[in-house]
Amino acid sequence: MNIAVCLCQVPDTASVIGFVNGTRDLSRVNWVMNPFDEYALEEAVRLKERFAGSVVTLFSIAPGAAKEMLRKALAMGADQAVLISGTEVSDPFQTARVLSRAILDFYRDALPDLVFCGKHSTDFQSAQVPLMLAEMLGIESVSSIVKLSATAEGLQVEREIEGGIEYLDVRYPALFSAEKGLNVPRKTTIKGVMEARKKPIDLLQVTIDDRAFVSMTNVKPLERKKVCRFVSEPGELIRLLIDECAVFMSSGETNGGTGEPR
Amino acid sequence: MNKYLVFLEQREGVVKKASIEIWNRVQELAARHPDSAVSGILAGSLDIRQLDGVLGGKGVIYHANEERFLLYNSRHYARLVADTLKRDGATSLFFADTALSRDLAPRLSVNLEASLLSGCEVFDDAGVDVGCVRPVYSGSAIASFAPERSLRIYTISSRSTRSIISFGSHIEFIALEPSGFTSENLFPFVRRIAMRKDRQDVAEAAIIVAGGRGVGDAAGFEQLEELALLLGGTVGASRPVVDEGWRPHAEQIGQTGKTVAPAIYFACGISGSVQHLAGIGSASILVAINNDPHAPIFDVADYALVGDLHIVLPKLLDAVKEFLKKR
Repeated sequence: MNIAVCLCQVPDTASVIGFVNGTRDLSRVNWVMNPFDEYALEEAVRLKERFAGSVVTLFSIAPGAAKEMLRKALAMGADQAVLISGTEVSDPFQTARVLSRAILDFYRDALPDLVFCGKHSTDFQSAQVPLMLAEMLGIESVSSIVKLSATAEGLQVEREIEGGIEYLDVRYPALFSAEKGLNVPRKTTIKGVMEARKKPIDLLQVTIDDRAFVSMTNVKPLERKKVCRFVSEPGELIRLLIDECAVFMSSGETNGGTGEPR
Repeated sequence: MNKYLVFLEQREGVVKKASIEIWNRVQELAARHPDSAVSGILAGSLDIRQLDGVLGGKGVIYHANEERFLLYNSRHYARLVADTLKRDGATSLFFADTALSRDLAPRLSVNLEASLLSGCEVFDDAGVDVGCVRPVYSGSAIASFAPERSLRIYTISSRSTRSIISFGSHIEFIALEPSGFTSENLFPFVRRIAMRKDRQDVAEAAIIVAGGRGVGDAAGFEQLEELALLLGGTVGASRPVVDEGWRPHAEQIGQTGKTVAPAIYFACGISGSVQHLAGIGSASILVAINNDPHAPIFDVADYALVGDLHIVLPKLLDAVKEFLKKR
């Protein structure tokens, strides 16, 4: 089985992002693998271990430090990596377009049996790339899966929706985006890291002439500090909330079961 | 002429409050742009009388009154929405920001070559183009996005303030022709859904009582459950609590959990990591209860109680019961 995994990098949450005149300064950022991509990768590696002869190939557009991330992913059990360059992407549409070209190019216009992505990147949280990629590849997809069971014939997945779970049947080829809860990603071992050094990272040039669908016109730091009112007694807190909030006045009547705020 | 099309999402035959809210907000948007019109699309066999008196403004709603649309299917939904959009001549398509729209909208964006603006919190409609503003980088920054295509798709995140549109509405329902969709192209096929009947989802709750590591253990959440029940709210959890297995992932709030927008958010024994704060930026009132007076949660809270949860919570429960009894 051919399994493709798309990886991206995000700023470590503790990193300092600078903002100057409506633009970002990312020079001091420490880049890490997008946390949701780790679930995607782990699931791909588990399938590889179950289905003999499977090959897990990583695809990433990330510049610079991406090789380090790809080495880590190879150490987790992927077989090979494709580092894509040639186009500076500025929105999810362009990202998906470049990934789709790279995947079609790499598999010589055949399709991989499965494609895994993270649910979204933690920096922008658009969750657009995986589904756009599926549409461009013309394959089935399910987003935000929390459980997957595969046979040679097809797959069954579970997906979290508001207040419940959807159970879906899917055929190959398909793309899934991984939600937390799908698995617990493994730690890399020394053996894995050693083996990863010998695994190939191919460089692939992809150029596209599609223009971005969306542009970021401004970005600025968000000041969240508030003046907090400290109270000493729970009774006082409740009185303050009653004074300020109409929702509180209507509370206690739904018994928590209607599923919607009023 | 701006033509706005609002997707009215239903689950088990009930139109979501979030979608109704989007309809009303789009009506407000249309009211600010004189040369504009609003229409809606509703998929699934359901009783449209549930919408009496809750949808404001005016417009037509296209109703695909078919049982097959009761369960979400990405292919069928994409076809239905795309066909309806073309029929209506809409220039902008609006969704509530839900699991469904996050699955459907990106496919439509590629298919229709439309700009997709996800998770918008505020409409930025100073100019002709309606842009969108939303937090990025775990809520540490706020960014504005502008569409580059003439056709636009927006998914709008929930927020607790309600629209103020008047309800003297003139809404006409138009039943769509049967889609003629067959089951051959049905994959991925939703076999069934299982809803948690006993509680609301944190993403939709007006009151959330969330617990962190400071709650102590899984049993400690019983008191949070009780408070949530009394207030008609639901229980949420921080990441360490979910990683410990005290609570299910569906309740996790924050960067690797859900983003919530309740009217009141109780943070009990939650220190307030950047990752957690990323999920609660839209809470109207944040109440923090923590025994550490220097916990970062107090920097962003509206009300704070410093103290041991095991002492504070029983008193809080008593105070709420007292209030409910008197009312």
